[in-house]
Parts: sequence; structure tokens; C-alpha cells
Amino acid sequence: MTRDDPAVEITALTKRFGDTTALRDVSLTVQTGEVVVLLGLSGSGKSTLLRHVDALEHPTGGTVRVAGTSVSELSGRPLRRLRQQVGFVFQQFELVPSLTVLENVLTGALATLRGPRLGLWSYPRRLRHRALGHLDRVGLLDRAYQRADTLSGGQQQRVAIARALMQDPSVLLADEPVASLDPESSAQVMTLIREIAADQGLTVLCSLHQVDLALSWADRIVGLRHGEVVLDTRTEGLSKAEVMEIYGQVATTTDEFAAVEALRSVTDPATTGTLA
Amino acid sequence: MTAVTDRPRVRATRSVAQAVSAAPRRRVSPERIAAGLTLVALGVLVCVALARIDISVPNMIASWANAQHFFTRVGTVRFPELPVLLQQTALTVGLVLLGTLLAAVLSVPIAWLAAANTSPGRGWIAAARFVSVLTRAVPDVVLAMVFVLLFTIGPLPGILAIGIHSIGMISKLFADAIEQIDEGPRTAIRATGGNRVQQFTAGVLPQVLPSWVATVLHRNDINLRGSVILGFVGIVGLGREMSFAFKSLDYSLGIGYAIVIFALCVLMEIVSSAVRATMLGRTSRATTGRPVHFRSPDEALRRPWTAARVRTTAWSWVAVLVVVGSVIVCDIAWGDLATVWGRIGPVAAQFWPPSFGSYGTPVMLGALFDTVAIALAATLLAVVVSVVIGSFAARNVAPNRGVRGGARLLLVVVRGVPETILAVVLIVITGLGAQAGTLALAFGGIGLLGKLVADSLEEVDSGPERALTATGATRFQRYAGATVPQGVRAMLGHTFYLVDTNIRAATILGVVGGGGIGYYLLNAAQGSNYGTVTAIVLMILVAVLVVEGIAMWMRRVFR
Repeated sequence: MTRDDPAVEITALTKRFGDTTALRDVSLTVQTGEVVVLLGLSGSGKSTLLRHVDALEHPTGGTVRVAGTSVSELSGRPLRRLRQQVGFVFQQFELVPSLTVLENVLTGALATLRGPRLGLWSYPRRLRHRALGHLDRVGLLDRAYQRADTLSGGQQQRVAIARALMQDPSVLLADEPVASLDPESSAQVMTLIREIAADQGLTVLCSLHQVDLALSWADRIVGLRHGEVVLDTRTEGLSKAEVMEIYGQVATTTDEFAAVEALRSVTDPATTGTLA
Repeated sequence: MTAVTDRPRVRATRSVAQAVSAAPRRRVSPERIAAGLTLVALGVLVCVALARIDISVPNMIASWANAQHFFTRVGTVRFPELPVLLQQTALTVGLVLLGTLLAAVLSVPIAWLAAANTSPGRGWIAAARFVSVLTRAVPDVVLAMVFVLLFTIGPLPGILAIGIHSIGMISKLFADAIEQIDEGPRTAIRATGGNRVQQFTAGVLPQVLPSWVATVLHRNDINLRGSVILGFVGIVGLGREMSFAFKSLDYSLGIGYAIVIFALCVLMEIVSSAVRATMLGRTSRATTGRPVHFRSPDEALRRPWTAARVRTTAWSWVAVLVVVGSVIVCDIAWGDLATVWGRIGPVAAQFWPPSFGSYGTPVMLGALFDTVAIALAATLLAVVVSVVIGSFAARNVAPNRGVRGGARLLLVVVRGVPETILAVVLIVITGLGAQAGTLALAFGGIGLLGKLVADSLEEVDSGPERALTATGATRFQRYAGATVPQGVRAMLGHTFYLVDTNIRAATILGVVGGGGIGYYLLNAAQGSNYGTVTAIVLMILVAVLVVEGIAMWMRRVFR
């Protein structure tokens, strides 16, 4: 592993579940500090791709490297070390409902500890202090001793982000982090991820299905369809026509399809000049 | 106008006729037919069993004369002196608590191995399930008989017998709970880099803990009732005092002990349901749901003493004190645990090879059949009564809160009566034999099954009930058309569970004279014919496994 290794390097990744092919020959390189969105419909392979980066899935073919290390060859302690480096934020938050918020954040430090932990007292004071700092960062310090399931969805997702921060990660993966949230909480959570990424120089790989959100949020968009990369572009300086192209490639709702069709008729070659 | 309305009507009648003839017939698989036939055969067997046990109205009237005779013999009920009573009560409760706790602790690794989602491999699952079935199938009385030979007399054989026998049920329910968890939080902990043990303690344990606590409390109630019988094979406590009193024909003292045990069982039931309610109830969630303001993370390091935290801490200390108190009361001869190993070999040698001794095969098979007949007949009686009482105890069936509360209370009281005590009293009244055993078992079965019936009726989807009410159905039509059809599968499952427990319980009641194989078991043990004990235990094991196999098959076929 050298300083020049890309944060995440996926080469010819193929994954089959029985007869269905979830990922087909996917290659993707993410540089350190990049904020990348994986865009696509549900079932396009976004989640499977993300799960491979954290070695939660084993590839059928191809390799996944994180900071130069091939993750599928790891097991035992080195694997857990790697997972510690990679934070993961889930669509359904996946907090332990009956534990306090603080203890949920502390579980992010398990990879640095030996042996089982249950109860706040089983974590060292130093870690508790750090966890409270992260809770303060996501604006939920007052909720530290509440049960996780007494929080709203947006709050739970912020706790999950604090848990990921507890790992002190270099890469943050987020699988549809706002798909289960209302618009206001969504905006809060997405802004928070962006801010934290900027603060800590994190590499972020986030899956989304909303094209407009992806365009306004990411540095770079990678479109997936039926397990294949169909698009890979930076968001900066895109022309209107290129944006339309993206909608055409990975539009997800009928509204968006309708919008694309409507705009297509307007952006006819004859009228393009006036619109642009 | 008329032509337009007529045409569709003609077409409609024709299409209904076509639809009826074209409707696909429900296909019945051969396996379903076989299972149905097995059920019918079981039904016939139950009728034969009822006839064989000879439960009839004239018999009961005849018994009533006996009962009067008995109660005149008892005269006034006499209670033991207070210091003896308190000491024996503390000893009994402590012994049962420690036994249950031992089983709970031992069950954790077994459940971990048995649950499909945490087990390291298929072989481990099979091995853990085998341990679970085996410990469930060997009655605690038999274990107590063996341990009494191994250890000096005292509470230790009782604790171990309860501890090992309870593993079967506790580990099975623990494993079921593990298999029902939400895998998400566990995956999240795996994603942070937690190892298998950490994933279990942080991701699985917090999710299953409420259900585990409920299981352990439930088992503790069962064990307290079961501890009476252990007294008959020499385990210290109220059960032994009662057995002494009855054996020396001091009926007034015996009944006194029986009343004390009954009261203790009801009290324990009330205490454990209170503990369940406070631990698992909504209130604990509400009080932990309030934010507390902190100015900085440093300030937040000190966890504030909220009412919820004070209560949790206080209850934890009470629990610790109860366990410590139990250990002190039991005055365990720890030295025995070190010296026992040398005695295992010689004792084991006495139990092998299995033999029927002087009894002969026909006698033993007949006795086993008696035991199975008692279990089946008792189940039938219990099912009939439970469905009635259980229905009235269900919130969505009972006409009003009063009826529901009354039915629930009745079930608690019925459940509180230890079967053994009932059997002992009934035996004195009706004489030794299957009748007393059957009635005692049926009574106990009502307490258990009635509650399960009520719970499974309350758990049905309320949508169809509302739909039937909306069509103008009466209360009873709604019950028959929407509530029962949804709950019947669960009730069938519970019934098989009852058959399963009843076979073991029927054996145990035989020990106190309730008929069947248990009588021979106790005789063999008292006559030191340990080979016969082994043979009988093997017979019980086979019977229990056969029933368990049939039950599993039925549950799969009638899914």
C-alpha cells in the first residue's frame, strides 16, 4: 500500500446470486477525497457494489481494493481492521433498537477492542468521551442516554453517521442513506455527510436514486443499470444536454421519464441553440 | 333499456355456472391425507385411552364418597411451625431459582450453536438440537434420582436436576428468539469490524434479551411447581416435607403443606408477571425517551441519574441479592463437585445394562401404554375446556373486560396448582390409579393451554373480524368465521406441545401413584434396580421422540 493508491479500486467485478447477475464486469476507481454517487434504479446493483467494498459480499469474479489491499483475500483480524477503515451507513440505519444512542455509537469502536462488550461501562472512558464528541458533532448530544428506537428516522441516521465516525474511517460508504427519510431530514443528513467528508478528507461512495439530488451533491456520478456501469461523469460544468442524457440513462421515476421526454421535444436539434 | 339490463344478467348466470364447474378442485397431497389419517388414528386412540382409564360419571360419584371420607380424616388443616415453614420455603425457592439460573447460563452457548443464523456450522446445529431434545426428554425426577446417588443429600442434586432438564426448553426458546432477530444491526456491527462474539453481544443479545428474560421467568414458574415431585425422590424442600407427611398418613399436615406450596406457586406467578411487565413494558421505554441537556461532551460523560436509571439499578441489585441469598440459603456442599468425579464410574456401571428385571416385557409395555393413554386422555380433556376458557380470556372474543379478567384470573389460579399436589390429593380420594393422574394432568393442561389459546386468539389479524362485523355478523359468527380460523393453526401446535409435555408429566405423576410407567420407575429406583431405571428411561425417551417427530411432521404438513 502506497500513498498513491486510489482509495477504492474495483476491477472487472462480477457477482452472481444463483442465476441472476447482480454485477457484470464493473470497474471503478475512486481517488482519495472524492465524493462519488452511484446512481441507479433499485435492483441496478448499487447496494451489492457497496457491500463488496466492505467485504460483506464475496465477488464471483474480479477484485476490490481499498487503499491498495485486495479485500476478498482478507480474513480474521486483518479483515476486521479493513472494515474498521471503511464506514458504512445503511438505508434502514441498523441501530440496535434497545441500546442507548451512546452505546450504539460506541459499537463503532469494537474493532479496536478485544472481547465482547455489553453495557456502557464495558467501554473505556476515553472511547466514551470520543463517542460523545461525535454525537455533539451530529447535533445529538442531548440524546446520548436515550434508547435508539425513541429517535426519529433522521436522528437515527445521524447516530449511524456518528457510529461510522467512531471507526475513524478513511472511506465512508452510504447505501441510500435518505431513502427512508422525509425531505427535511434528508437535506440535513446529506449536508452532514458532505461537511464531515470535507472536514476529515473522507472518500465518500454513496448510492442514490434521485438524479437531481445526486447532481447537486456529488463531485462525480457513476450510473448503474442492470449491474453495468452506463455512465461516469464529473458533475462540474455539465451542459443542459448532458444533464438530460443522465436523466435518460438513469431516470428512476415516471415523473423524471416524463420530464426527460418533454425536454427532449424542446431540445430538438433545431431549437437547441435557443435553449442553451 | 330492458334489453340492455337483461343481457348482462343472462350472461352472469351462465358465467356463474361455468365458473363453478371450471373452478379448480383443491388438490390434496398424499402426505396431507396421511397426516389427516394419523390425526384420525390419534383421535381413536384417545377414545380408547379414555375408555381404558375408565373416567365415568358413576366413578366420580363413587369417588365423592371417598372424598368426604378423606376430608373427615383430614379434620382440621395443620400448618408446620413458622420457623420450619420459612426455612423450607426459602430453601425451595432458592433451589429452584439457582437451578433455573444454571439452565439459563448453560443454554446461551447451546442456543448460539443451535440457531441457524449464529451457528458456526450444520454439524453444530444438529449437535445442539440433540442436546436440547435429550435434556427435555429425560424427566428431572430421573436426573434427581441419579444425582441423589452421586451427591450427599442436600439441594445440589435438585439444582443440577432442574438445571440440566430445563436446558431443553430454555435453549430451544433462546435459539428461536435468535433466529427471529432483525439481521440489520448485526450486519452493521460486522461492517464496523466487530468479531463474531462482539456481533453476538452487541448486535444479537440486546435484541433477544426481553424474550430470554420472559422465557427464564416462565421456566422458573414451571420449575417451582415441578420441585414438589423432586421431594418424593429425596430432594430437600417443601415437597419432601409434604411427601413425608402423606407417607406417615398425617393428612392434615400434608394438606397444610399442599396449601403453602399452592400459595407459593401463585405468588411466584404474580411476581414473575410483574417483573415481566416492568422490564418489558411500555413505561420503561417512555421514561428513557426524554432528552437531557448537556453543555459539552465532558459534562455528558457523567450519566444523569434519571428515574429510569435509578429504577433499573435498584432492580439489578435486588436481582443480585436474590441470587446471592439463594446461594446462602441452599448452603451448597461445593466440595461434592470436586469429589463427584470418582463416583461417576461405579454409579454409571449400576445403570448398565438396561433390563426389565422381574417385571417382564408385557407388563412394562402395558405400563408405557397406560402412560401414553393418560397423556392423550388428559390432553383431550384439557383441550375441550381450554378452548372455552381461553376464548373468554381473549380480548377480541370476550364480551367485556370483566369476563376477560375473570377468565384470565381463573387460568392463573389453575396454573398455580402444582399437578403433583393435585395428583396426591386425588389419589388419596380416588385411590391409586390412572384416573387421578389423568384428572390432575388435565387440570394442569388447562392452565397452560388456556393461556396459549387466549394469546393466540388475541394475536390474530383484526382486519377480517372488522370485515365480518361490518357485514352484520353476530359476535359468535365473527368468532367462528374470523377469529378461530386464523388461530386454529397455532392452537394445533400448542396442543401437540401439550401432548409432548403430558407424556413426560404422566411419567412423573406415576411416581406419586398416578398410574402408568412412573410407578415402576420409582419402585425400581427404591429397590436399587438401576438397570430397570435405565430401561424405563429409554422407553420414555422413545415415546417422547416419536410424539415430537409426529408433531413436527404435522406442523410441516398443515402449514
